[in-house]
Amino acid sequence: MIRLHFFGRLSDLATQVPSRCAGETPHAIRQWLAEDFPELAVQLNEPQVLVSVNHCIVDWQTPLTDGDEVAFLPPVTGG
Amino acid sequence: MLTTLRIQAEDFDLAEQYSLLRSSSPATTEIGAIVTFTGLVREFEPRSRDHNDDGGALDGMRLQHYPGMTEKLLQGIIDDAAQRWPLLAVTVIHRVGHLAPCDQIVFLGVASEHRQPAFQAAEFIMDYLKTRATFWKQITIDGQPRWVDSKDSDTTAARRWDAQCDG
Repeated sequence: MIRLHFFGRLSDLATQVPSRCAGETPHAIRQWLAEDFPELAVQLNEPQVLVSVNHCIVDWQTPLTDGDEVAFLPPVTGG
Repeated sequence: MLTTLRIQAEDFDLAEQYSLLRSSSPATTEIGAIVTFTGLVREFEPRSRDHNDDGGALDGMRLQHYPGMTEKLLQGIIDDAAQRWPLLAVTVIHRVGHLAPCDQIVFLGVASEHRQPAFQAAEFIMDYLKTRATFWKQITIDGQPRWVDSKDSDTTAARRWDAQCDG
């Protein structure tokens, strides 16, 4: 299973999303999410939203393996 | 180089952090310059371009981060700075959780032999922290929470370092 994390404005839209799921790539997970969470999917498709696997920013087509941690990251606003 | 990196809910004491930075480096006697920066919560937030509001006075702020990734990214930014400039010690403290107007958010201290690398590394670290480190601000105005938009000016500030090979 893949562990999922959502941050910033995405976290407000993902409160009902399961914390674990199956999926071969972050892109596939994003498509799967669109079925039940269309509002979240619109935000996930924004070009500024980045995806990380195990704390590294990656391409949306990166293959996932069991136990990976995937996070969806809107533009950061710290400091 | 000595690095101190903390992400915490608690406030920090500027004098204490300065004193630690000044005394804890193994190369204490080589330090000729310390630059410090402190970021604070502004009381007034301007109008948002993505939200239908006029901005206004802040009730408060909540800072969210991605534990594990934030530390890794900040360490990477500090390591990049140390590759570019001869630094002796760096401290980064970033607060998370609930903050009130005028609260301290972030502390950065950079110690070097001379002022120029200390000033430049401090700007570099803050520019990259603001555009890369995984923190998200949610502000509340008139009881309405909203996520803060990222600023193009911050991205522009960070990009200027990309064009420079050695600072």
